[in-house]
Amino acid sequence: MLAYTVRRILVSIPVLIISTFIVFLVVINAGDPVANFATSRQPAPSKAAVAAFARHVHADQPAVERYWNWITGVLHGDWGPSVQPNLDIGHDLFTRFRVTVTLVAAAMLIALVLAVLFGVFSALRQYSAADYTITFFGFLFLAMPVFWFAVLLKQAGIWFNEQTGSQFLGTIGEKSPYLESDTFWNAFTDRIGHLVLPTITLALVSFASWTRYTRASMLEVMDSDYVRLARAKGLRRGRVLVRHALRTALIPLATVTALDIAIILGGAVVTETIFQWHGMGEMLVQSATTVDVYRTMAWLLLSAVVVIGFNLVADLLYAVLDPRIRYD
Amino acid sequence: MRARSSALTKGLVLAAGLTLVLGACSGGGGGSSPGNGHAGLTSCAEQGQANTCNSGPTKAGGTFTYVLEKNIQQWNVQDTNGNTFENGEALQVVLPSVFVPQPDFTVKLNTDLVSSVSQTSTSPQTLVYKINPKASWNDGTPITADDFVYYWRTNNGKDCPPPPASDSTQTKGCLPQSTAGYDRVKSVTGSDGGRTVTVVMAKPYSDWKSLFGAGYPLYPAHVAEKLSGAKQGDAAHMTAAQLTQGWQYFQKTPPSKYPTAGPYKMQSWVDNDHATYVPDPRWRGAHKATLQRLIFKVITDATQEPIALRNNEVQGIYPQPEVDLVNQVKSIPNVTYTIGNGLTWEHFDLNLHNPVLGKYAALRRSMFTAISIKDIVAKTVGQFDPEVKQLGNHNFVPGQAGYKDLVTPTGQGSGDLTKAKKYLTDAKFTGVGSALRTPDGKAVGPFNCRYTTGNQIRQSECQILQSDLANLGIKVTIKPIGAADLGTVLTGHQYDIIVFAWVAAPFPTSGAQQNWVTGGGGNYGGYSNKKVDALVAQAVGETDPAKAAQLLDQADQIMVDDAYVLPLYQKPTFLAVQTRFVNMRNNSTNVGPAYNTGEWGLKK
Repeated sequence: MLAYTVRRILVSIPVLIISTFIVFLVVINAGDPVANFATSRQPAPSKAAVAAFARHVHADQPAVERYWNWITGVLHGDWGPSVQPNLDIGHDLFTRFRVTVTLVAAAMLIALVLAVLFGVFSALRQYSAADYTITFFGFLFLAMPVFWFAVLLKQAGIWFNEQTGSQFLGTIGEKSPYLESDTFWNAFTDRIGHLVLPTITLALVSFASWTRYTRASMLEVMDSDYVRLARAKGLRRGRVLVRHALRTALIPLATVTALDIAIILGGAVVTETIFQWHGMGEMLVQSATTVDVYRTMAWLLLSAVVVIGFNLVADLLYAVLDPRIRYD
Repeated sequence: MRARSSALTKGLVLAAGLTLVLGACSGGGGGSSPGNGHAGLTSCAEQGQANTCNSGPTKAGGTFTYVLEKNIQQWNVQDTNGNTFENGEALQVVLPSVFVPQPDFTVKLNTDLVSSVSQTSTSPQTLVYKINPKASWNDGTPITADDFVYYWRTNNGKDCPPPPASDSTQTKGCLPQSTAGYDRVKSVTGSDGGRTVTVVMAKPYSDWKSLFGAGYPLYPAHVAEKLSGAKQGDAAHMTAAQLTQGWQYFQKTPPSKYPTAGPYKMQSWVDNDHATYVPDPRWRGAHKATLQRLIFKVITDATQEPIALRNNEVQGIYPQPEVDLVNQVKSIPNVTYTIGNGLTWEHFDLNLHNPVLGKYAALRRSMFTAISIKDIVAKTVGQFDPEVKQLGNHNFVPGQAGYKDLVTPTGQGSGDLTKAKKYLTDAKFTGVGSALRTPDGKAVGPFNCRYTTGNQIRQSECQILQSDLANLGIKVTIKPIGAADLGTVLTGHQYDIIVFAWVAAPFPTSGAQQNWVTGGGGNYGGYSNKKVDALVAQAVGETDPAKAAQLLDQADQIMVDDAYVLPLYQKPTFLAVQTRFVNMRNNSTNVGPAYNTGEWGLKK
């Protein structure tokens, strides 16, 4: 398996280079940061300032040379200049990555646990009232626009705060700018209070699709010959469920989750905007609207690495969950 | 401010029912009726109240969190890159300015910094600043002429020239946001132990009150001298390299790290999140800060601001108003708000590089006359602000000395179709009302009307223009501009008609120089009229402000006749704060409501 892993990693390097080069060409042609700089300020900047800006963002270099300089720069830890003054892209990228991971990790864990629990339950009680209820909410959460749901949740959070006379639930940011008393407990509850609403938002959306997967794959497995055989052998129901059925049923879910994590990492745009977490989502929006070439590329590079990484993880998980699969 | 533990226990029980609550809770609901508790800011829109409304004595204590809509990456607001509204607001709290723009668009002398300023001679124009004897940086260094000299030398474009072409890292040289005025200064000298500053101009400058402040405050020269190894108190002899070093230090360093001079000092800056200010015990100004803590919190999505205000996470917001947003704020209990008319104004621009539009002034006049601004206002900003009216001047807004309505008497913006058609028939256009052709038989249009995508208001404006011009027989297609492309469209002249906004400065002559003079930095449509050029140049050098305003209005009369830009209306501004605080006021100038943070406080 180690050889397989190494081979996969080596193969992904040319994939990364080709994909980033194509994207680089698209990004540098997506708009003109120099024109933006020249027109977005009042008073209009001097010609010297515009020229200095163009040199600073390397807008005067040919595309291939620019790409080469960028990719070799990244290997040396230099992520290139941003259109935003004084912005260190590498520092920005990893700060934001941390923020998004904080936001996404809790949500994914909750969503996954709940999805498995409710999905299995739903499958076992197929066509019961409980199944219909879970199905109903599953589809409801799937259909709900995230921004709308998030704003609704915020209103509920405010209502909660008003009822309790507290400020427990935060609607903006990772933590309060300032705490009345600086104890560990206060700082901790403040953090938790700010996590609750965005976590619920992110979790419910993933939960919705993942319960559907769990339910479907569980139903399929429960219907298979070997499960029937296991039952016929007189094994206890719980043992059949967990050791035989669930383990197999989790395989498709593992793939979906692993791939979703990459998508969610980059795609928490709406949640991050509404809850003002300054993470990867905000970074993408900002860099795209300001034609920030190197910042967009940094985002894309990290996302690509994450996607490739989780693809690999999904494949490896297969082997763990299904002993029949062997990589060599 | 934070959760009490008993409340927390109670809260956790309630948390269980949270998802159930969702259905029942229909956004809003807080049991307040509009008009309830809006005493504070409501009077601000009344005549003559702008500078005094919502005032009152304050008591000690309280934390006030005010929203910044952008992160601050660059702390030198005098630099082109750092010249942002948010940066101006954040620095205004801690750094001193000679004159401070007020809510009524006048400027007020900051007597904590200078006791008096006088223009002692007009030829050569000479200005004498008497620094307040108590004025000092909070490390004890007195504020002296040296700080003024440093300011002048970094901003005049000569002593610290722009970085050379070979320097892609921009580590050599200064790029001031504007050299206007500073490039006309002949000398800045100190006397009286540095406490009197005499500025002699080489060429007269009408907006001299904009010098050393007005949103671009003074930085401590002694800090720059020390770190660049220059002689202390001798900014007059700093080399370009030394000046650059200081310039760049202030770009990269938030004011929490160097001595400042304001009622507050910045305690900390958390990038992308917030700045915390606390009262400065070493402040010797007339007014002491009473808030225990002032926080500027970065919230980049304006639609989230009312929610944060309702949840008491912030106590004051200053977003761009929209119908939904204003209604949301109206329903928040114990919040007072005001809608003001700002210095930012919306306008239609014609691209004179277009051969047909550039050639026929009669066509342009006719187009502007056919447009009904009344309709535009009614279908856009008029929905939440009934006070919005057609703007009648290109250089001044109502309330500024010099404002004269020069546009409406000509009928431009009236939607008067008969008059509009007459311009065309008089100029021998054919096909008026059906398919318009120029006198020499060329088709007029189709023109495009461009707006930034996602901006609902501007989309409506283009739609109304489209139907108004259809009446003349001009076809208009509406073509949105990608979020990142406004700059490309403007500098590349990729438009026939475009709608966007400009910020009028409290100092109008420099703005006019940018936008109307041939080849000016903001003159994207290629307008050129020698008479206007001459009049504006004359206004910039006029030492009598009344005469300067008169000259600008003369120039404007010509511009209105040339029908290049049609001013629509002043964009509304919107300030909402909790009623337990006083002295916050809507200031639509470049310093924003932060112009008087030293007075903000809990109501006594």
